[in-house]
Amino acid sequence: MLQNGLWKLGLFFAFIGPGIITSNVDNDAGGITTYSLAGAQYGLRLLWILIPVTVALIIIQEMCARMGVVSGKGLSDLIRERFGAKITFYLMIILFLANMGNTLSEFAGIAASMELFGISKYISVPAGAFFVWLLIVKGNYKSVEKAFLVACVFYLSYIISGFLVHPDWSAIKTATFTPTLKFDTGMLTMAIGIIGTTIAPWMQFYLQSSIVDKGLKAESYKYARMDVIFGSITVNVVAFFIIMLCAVTLFQNGLKIETAKDAAVALAPLAGVYCSWLFAFGLLNASLFAASILPLSTAYTICEAFGWESSLNSKFVEAPQFYGLYSLMIFLGAGFILLPNVPLIAIMYYSQVINGLLLPFILIFMLLLINDKRIMGNYVNSRLMNIVSWATVVILNVLSLAMVVSAFF
Amino acid sequence: MAINREPQDFLFLSQILGKNIVGATGDTLGRVYDLTTEFVEPYPIVTGIIFSSAQKKNPMFLPWKDVIDINKDISVSIKSISEITTLYLRQGELLLKDTLLDKQVVDTDGAKIRRVNDLQFLKAHHGLYLVHVDVGFRGLIRRVGVTKTFDAIMNALFDYKLPDQLIPWKFTQPLHSADLLRLNIAQNRIGQIHPADLADILEDLDIKQRSVLFQALDVETAAETLEETDPKVQVSLINDLNSAKASDIIEEMSLSEAADLLGDLPKAKADVILQEMEKDIADDVKELLTHPEREAGGMMTTSYLSFRPSTSVREALDRFRQEAADVDLVYYVYVTDEDERLLGVISLRDLILAEEDKRLEELMDERVISVKLDDKDDIIAEHFAKYAVTAIPVVDENERMQGTIIFKNLLEVVAPHLGQ
Repeated sequence: MLQNGLWKLGLFFAFIGPGIITSNVDNDAGGITTYSLAGAQYGLRLLWILIPVTVALIIIQEMCARMGVVSGKGLSDLIRERFGAKITFYLMIILFLANMGNTLSEFAGIAASMELFGISKYISVPAGAFFVWLLIVKGNYKSVEKAFLVACVFYLSYIISGFLVHPDWSAIKTATFTPTLKFDTGMLTMAIGIIGTTIAPWMQFYLQSSIVDKGLKAESYKYARMDVIFGSITVNVVAFFIIMLCAVTLFQNGLKIETAKDAAVALAPLAGVYCSWLFAFGLLNASLFAASILPLSTAYTICEAFGWESSLNSKFVEAPQFYGLYSLMIFLGAGFILLPNVPLIAIMYYSQVINGLLLPFILIFMLLLINDKRIMGNYVNSRLMNIVSWATVVILNVLSLAMVVSAFF
Repeated sequence: MAINREPQDFLFLSQILGKNIVGATGDTLGRVYDLTTEFVEPYPIVTGIIFSSAQKKNPMFLPWKDVIDINKDISVSIKSISEITTLYLRQGELLLKDTLLDKQVVDTDGAKIRRVNDLQFLKAHHGLYLVHVDVGFRGLIRRVGVTKTFDAIMNALFDYKLPDQLIPWKFTQPLHSADLLRLNIAQNRIGQIHPADLADILEDLDIKQRSVLFQALDVETAAETLEETDPKVQVSLINDLNSAKASDIIEEMSLSEAADLLGDLPKAKADVILQEMEKDIADDVKELLTHPEREAGGMMTTSYLSFRPSTSVREALDRFRQEAADVDLVYYVYVTDEDERLLGVISLRDLILAEEDKRLEELMDERVISVKLDDKDDIIAEHFAKYAVTAIPVVDENERMQGTIIFKNLLEVVAPHLGQ
C-alpha cells in the first residue's frame, strides 16, 4: 500500500516539469511589472482576479497538455497539418514578432534588476545573453530542465518578501474573495493586463512541445494534468504575493511607480533592504529564466511548423534555421537594450498588443483541434468541457481585443 | 509515335487547388478541393477531382476522364452537377491533399524527415502523374501565394533566385497514413535507409508515427533498427507490440542487445516475451540478465564459436560456415577444453590462412586476454585499449568461458557517460 503510494509519487515527479516550468516562465519581467503596478495603483482591490485567471489558465493548459499527450505532436505541427501553409506562415510571423518583443522585455528586466545591485547594463546584458546562449547550446534537455526547475524554486523569494512585511491577513482574505471592479478605464486596463500577461500565446506552444518531448502516453495523462494544475496554481500564488506586497507597502503609502525596478527601490525604506533585494533577485531570476525559454520555444515552434530540422542535438550546419532563429532572437533582444534611448515602455506595450492580437486565433485553433476526432480520438472535449472552454475563450478574446482597441485610443 | 511529341508540363498541386471547374456549357460547377490518386508504380496517377460546389453541401467527385483541359480553369465534359456521382475511394486510392500536403514524409535518399510544402505533377499522355515532393522554402512561399514578391525581393537584395527543393517521388516515404505506409513498404523504400539512420528518424518522429513506421518494418530490419535506437524509445516501441511480434524481433537482435532491452522493460512484459521466444535463445538471454549492465557479465554475448583443441582447421571452417550466420562474434574463435576452460584464441584471418589439416591447438594463441564476470567497464575499456583486440572473452572464477564482450557492446554502455 505504502509502496504503491510512493510509486505514484515517484511517477508524479518523473512527469512533473513541463507544466510547472511553463507556468513559472509566465511570471517573467513583464508579468512582475504588471503585478507590481496593479498592487501599487489599486492596492488589494484586484487580488480577486487571480482566482478566475487561475481557473482559465488551468482550462487552457489542460487542453494543450491533452493534445500533446494524445496526438504526440506540437501545437504548431497540428496547426500546420490542419489549417495549411498560408495561415501557419502568417501566424508564425506574428508569433515571432510577439515573442521578440517579450524577449526584449526580459533583457530589460535583467538590466533593471542588476542595476539595483549596482551593475551597469553594459555588463549585465551581454553576460546574461551569453549565459542564456551557453545554457542551451552546451546543455542537453535533461540538464536544462533541471536548471529550470531550480529557477522555479527561486520564485519563493517573492513569497518570503511577502511575509517579511507582516501584512494584515484578514483584509487580504476579504479582498481575495470579494470581486470589485469599478468601470474606470485604468482599472479595467490593469485587469486585462493581468490576464494578458498570465495567458500568453507562446506558452501554449511551449507547454505542448515539452509534453511531447517527455514522450508521455495517453495512460499517464493524469500526471501531466496534475503537473499543469499544480503549475497554474503556483504561478498565481507568486502573482498574489507580488500584488499583495506592493499593495501593503507602496499603495498604502501612496507611492507611484512605473516599473518593477521602481517597486524594488521604493520597497527598501518601507519594508527593509532585504525585502528590496529579494524583490530584485526575483526579477533577475524571472528575466533570465524567461530569456532562456522564449527564444528556444520560438525557434522550436517555427521550425516544427515549416519542417526544418530542430534539435539541440544537431550541429549548426544541420539545423541552420533553428540555431539562426535562436541566436537572432538573443542577439536582437540583448542588442536593443544596449542602444541608447530605446523607447522601452513603448516596445513592451506594443509587444503586449501583438500578444493580444494573436491569442484569440490560437485559442480558437486550439478549440477546433481538440474537438477534431481524427486527431484526438476519444479524448475530444466533453460537452461540459466545451461549454466551459468556449466561454473562457470568448471572454479572453473579448478582453484581448479590448486591450488592442484601447491601445489605439 | 505521336504520343511522345506531346508537350510535357510540370505543375504544382497548389496551382490546381482552388481552380474553377467549368462545365461543357461554360457554367462554373465548383472549385477544386482535393485530388484522388491511385498509388501505382513508378508514379501515382491522379484519378479524379474532389470539388466543392455552391449548390451542394457535400464535396463532389469528378473522374479524371471527364477532364478536357487544365489551363486557367479546369474544363470538363460534364454539363451540370446532376450528372455527377458521389465519392467512393477504391482500394489503393487516397486523397492527395488530405494525406500528403503539409504532412511529414521521410526523404529516403537523405534519410531525413521533411514536411511537404507542395506536390509537383507531370502532365503527360493526358494524365497527371505525381513525380516530385516539394520540401523547400520556395514551395512554402508558393503556398502562401507571394512567390512574385518574394522573387523580386531576393533578386533585388541578393541577385539570387531561390531554387525549388524537390525530392523525387521514388525517394519519398509518406508517414501520415498507415495504408500508404503499408503500400510503400511493399516496394521497400524504407529498406534503402541504413538502420542507424532509420533509428534517428524513429527518434525524431512523434510516438504514433514512430510505432506505425516501426510496425511496418520487416522483422530483420526492425531488429537491426532497434539495436541502434535509444533505450527509452526501444521500450516504448516494444511496449506497443504484441508479445509474439516482440519476441520475433528480439530473437533477431544480438544477445547482449536483447538482454539490455529486456532488462529495461517492465518485468511482466519481459517475462511474457521470454516465454514466447525460442527456448535456447531465451535461456541465454536470461543468463545475461542476471548480471549488472556495467559489468563484464552484463555486456558479454554468449553467442560465439568455440572448439576443442584437437579439432582440425577443416572441421572448424565447416562448422563456421554452417553456424556463423547466427553468431554475434565471428572475428575470433575460441579453443576450450571439455570443462569449457579457455585455452586459446584464433583470429578469423589465421583460421582462413591456415593449412586445412592442422589442428587448432597448433594454431591457437595461448596468451589469451580475458576478464572476470564482475569486472567493471573501466577495467574492460583499459584492456581493449591496451591489447588492441575487437573482443575480449569473459571467464568465471574457475577460468571457464562464459561469453565474450564485443567492442561495440562496451561502447554502448560507456558512450552515454562520456564527456560528463
